[in-house]
Amino acid sequence: MFLRIEKGSAVPISRQISTQITALCLSEQLHPGDKLPSVRELARELAVNQNTILRVYEKLTSEGILDKRHGAGTYVADSPPIKQLKEQREQFYEEWQQLVRQGLLLGLTKKELKQLLETALASEAAEVSTVS
Amino acid sequence: MSSTVLNVSRLYKSYGQQQVLKELSFSVEQGQIVAMLGRNGAGKTTTIRSLMGLIEPDSGEIDVLGFSPLEQPLEIRKRIGYLAEDQQMYGWMTVLETIQFVSAFYEQWDHKLVQSLLEQFELPPGAKVKSLSKGQNVRLGLLLALAHHPQMVILDDPVLGLDPIMRKEFNRDLITHLQAENCTVLYSSHLLYEVEPIADVVMILHEGCILRQASTEELKADVKRVIFSSGIAPLGIHQMRVIDAQQRSHHLALTVENFQETETELDQRGISYEVQDLNLDEIFEAYIIGDPKLPFNHQEPVEV
Repeated sequence: MFLRIEKGSAVPISRQISTQITALCLSEQLHPGDKLPSVRELARELAVNQNTILRVYEKLTSEGILDKRHGAGTYVADSPPIKQLKEQREQFYEEWQQLVRQGLLLGLTKKELKQLLETALASEAAEVSTVS
Repeated sequence: MSSTVLNVSRLYKSYGQQQVLKELSFSVEQGQIVAMLGRNGAGKTTTIRSLMGLIEPDSGEIDVLGFSPLEQPLEIRKRIGYLAEDQQMYGWMTVLETIQFVSAFYEQWDHKLVQSLLEQFELPPGAKVKSLSKGQNVRLGLLLALAHHPQMVILDDPVLGLDPIMRKEFNRDLITHLQAENCTVLYSSHLLYEVEPIADVVMILHEGCILRQASTEELKADVKRVIFSSGIAPLGIHQMRVIDAQQRSHHLALTVENFQETETELDQRGISYEVQDLNLDEIFEAYIIGDPKLPFNHQEPVEV
């Protein structure tokens, strides 16, 4: 599990860590049943306060993404909830909307924006086909 | 569950005409890592020296682990690991000689711990102190501060002059050697980004008093910039505590320190606004040099 902390960000460090772990679970880079590092280990690795890591683990456990097993550590839950995915999608819609607004402000036309999306999709498709 | 281990109340100190501490009050709970943030000359070192009994304040109360620094300095010295700003040790002594020299002052010196810290900190025991790098020097200071199992550690700007890699190592040391042992830590710094991942609580010290004491997450949730673009600025608002106000053409940006209450009131009154999240530097700046005294900060609504 590779996490990175962005220093000097307006986003609180606990949220940086929790969104990254959530994203890793949803994108199946972390699988149900995988063991996470202990609070102490992760705190040491990231050089972050142990209480911050503890809060993240507790929050994600209460959201059903992680599973805290007594005395045995913290694991990825068997079935990470759909709600989280929905929230992330909603956030994505919002960011998408902002991006479109920015484009329009920069004087791009609707047609140009559509063209940009097509190009991005095409290059993504090309990448996927070369990987597989 | 947690108890107060350090309490400072209404501390005043002047050097001649210059007032350095002005009604300084704060407290620290057992096991917390507390960072004191402030510009040069804000009073960080004076505060720390007062805690150690090295300076006599003009007035005010200090309680460190139940002791008074002026009346019982030795009791405090026994229980606290202290690293002074730019602590100088004797350059002609070796690392080991320095450790032996300092150990003589403490009853509860842990030679085993020293041995393991020497290894973990990668300090060469036979090297002369004057040949150590800045980072090694700080680690030797930290080792000396930890070796008698203090209940609390007080560090005056420990990362001053350390490079980014050493700073991260230092942060890691705080987490693994002190937080893991439930040791209370109070340290001063002016590197906000280094402090953010580590501190349970930060204190913003300015001109000898604490402007705000809170966790960094609380600060980020509370202190936000609210931007109004046109029409009426919502300044009949009683709840909003503005710490900085800036006007550009057709825009008014107010940095508030109680965003939740501000938001509730703005929404209730149906006033539209944009919100900007701030990073620690911006929050610090708003507190330190923010100017809330623009004509907008009064009771009646004002046109933007």
